[in-house]
Amino acid sequence: MSNYADILAELSEATPVFRRYARALGAGVGLVVADGLVHSALQGLGARLRAREVTPNDAEAARIEAYKAITSLAAHKYQVASGPGPRHPPIVHGLAALDFTDRAVLLLVSLEGFGYDAAADIAGISRETVFMRLQRARALLANWTANSGGIPQVSAARSSAHLRVVK
Amino acid sequence: MTTPPTGFLEEADLHAFVDGILDPDQRRRVEEHLAQHPEDAALVESWQRQNAAIRAVYEPILREIPAPSLRSAAAQVAAPSGTIESGATHWGRPGVLPRVRRREDILAQQRRQAIFASVLAVLSVAAVAALATFIFAGRGEHRPITAASAPQGYVARAGLTYATYVSDQHPVEIDASRLEELSSWLKARVGFYKVPDLSQQGMRLIGGRVAPGVAAPAGFLIYERPDGGRVGLYFERSVATISQQASKSGSGVTAIEWRTADFAFVLIGPLSLDLMQVAAEKAAAQIIGASQP
Repeated sequence: MSNYADILAELSEATPVFRRYARALGAGVGLVVADGLVHSALQGLGARLRAREVTPNDAEAARIEAYKAITSLAAHKYQVASGPGPRHPPIVHGLAALDFTDRAVLLLVSLEGFGYDAAADIAGISRETVFMRLQRARALLANWTANSGGIPQVSAARSSAHLRVVK
Repeated sequence: MTTPPTGFLEEADLHAFVDGILDPDQRRRVEEHLAQHPEDAALVESWQRQNAAIRAVYEPILREIPAPSLRSAAAQVAAPSGTIESGATHWGRPGVLPRVRRREDILAQQRRQAIFASVLAVLSVAAVAALATFIFAGRGEHRPITAASAPQGYVARAGLTYATYVSDQHPVEIDASRLEELSSWLKARVGFYKVPDLSQQGMRLIGGRVAPGVAAPAGFLIYERPDGGRVGLYFERSVATISQQASKSGSGVTAIEWRTADFAFVLIGPLSLDLMQVAAEKAAAQIIGASQP
């Protein structure tokens, strides 16, 4: 996809999923802040596209660039954002308790459906680090929800080892 | 996933199984393993439950309709003033086109912006000054609003509604003591009846009324702060063809617009942008909570 208009159309179509990711990444952040983040990220990406600093070849590459922009901006903007309140379900509190990059990796894989390579590209880390962070996020989330009376989970200790041989 | 030695599974295989990135053969092998190892099956199930819980919370967002200006954000040229600090207060800024534009269009747009920048600045200052005069003078010169001069955006309409009613001796039709009646009235006339509680932001509900909207009857709630400052929440069923307007912040009046649940909302009042944004977040969260099943 080299046509600028096609890329913009793809980004426009994908706006709902960008909003979902930004809201989840904020773990309790308000919709005004999350939508503002998406707006700023897409506007910044648009400027980079026009300057040809990024030249995605297809729709998927354009989406990944947008996820990169959202993740990168969120890492700074969400540092001062308010956390979840009493009305948020336990899983949101659990997500808020995770390290930002652990949370981003978990959401990219579990919610947005990216493979490990794409998640690594978006988060700016290696594939091995993606797996390590995914494993840690799931273990911490299981531990958090078990301790907070949230969703029943298998003990986090079961999954504490990296690349554990189970058979 | 790297292929493990035959007959062995690693935890990576279990994560890959949960994440759906295994090929059919690998998937079948993991399924056979899980059938024989209930402990690992429970572990996998707990991760799947996590994923389901996350999706249950965030999937409904896909059913919300993003603002047109948000959908075209990548095509928008950033304002020359610098970094965007809050999307809500910048949505639909003047000059933003709701359609996808080509590079030539954008370059032409930039040229036009350069030519008209000073003119727009003068007009903006004049508009804000006029609005402030109308609000704070209390009794301005009353001129009939013609079709050509009537405000078309929700922010402009909210500003007019605010200016009309906020300093009135009887700013609301139904006061907060008859909240149930107020909700029923708003539901019948406007279609939305959730009255956000902003008491944590120091804003006590005075009451509300039905007011003329841009394209349909609008609801207008008025809150009062301990210092006497009044904040209005305007809402009207949104029409896709009406783009979001740049929010106003000047001469002590700030307006924040957002859209959700098929309605346009504008919070307007004589507070700083920070305070208004916190209040808008609070109101939006309660509205979202009320509109979701």
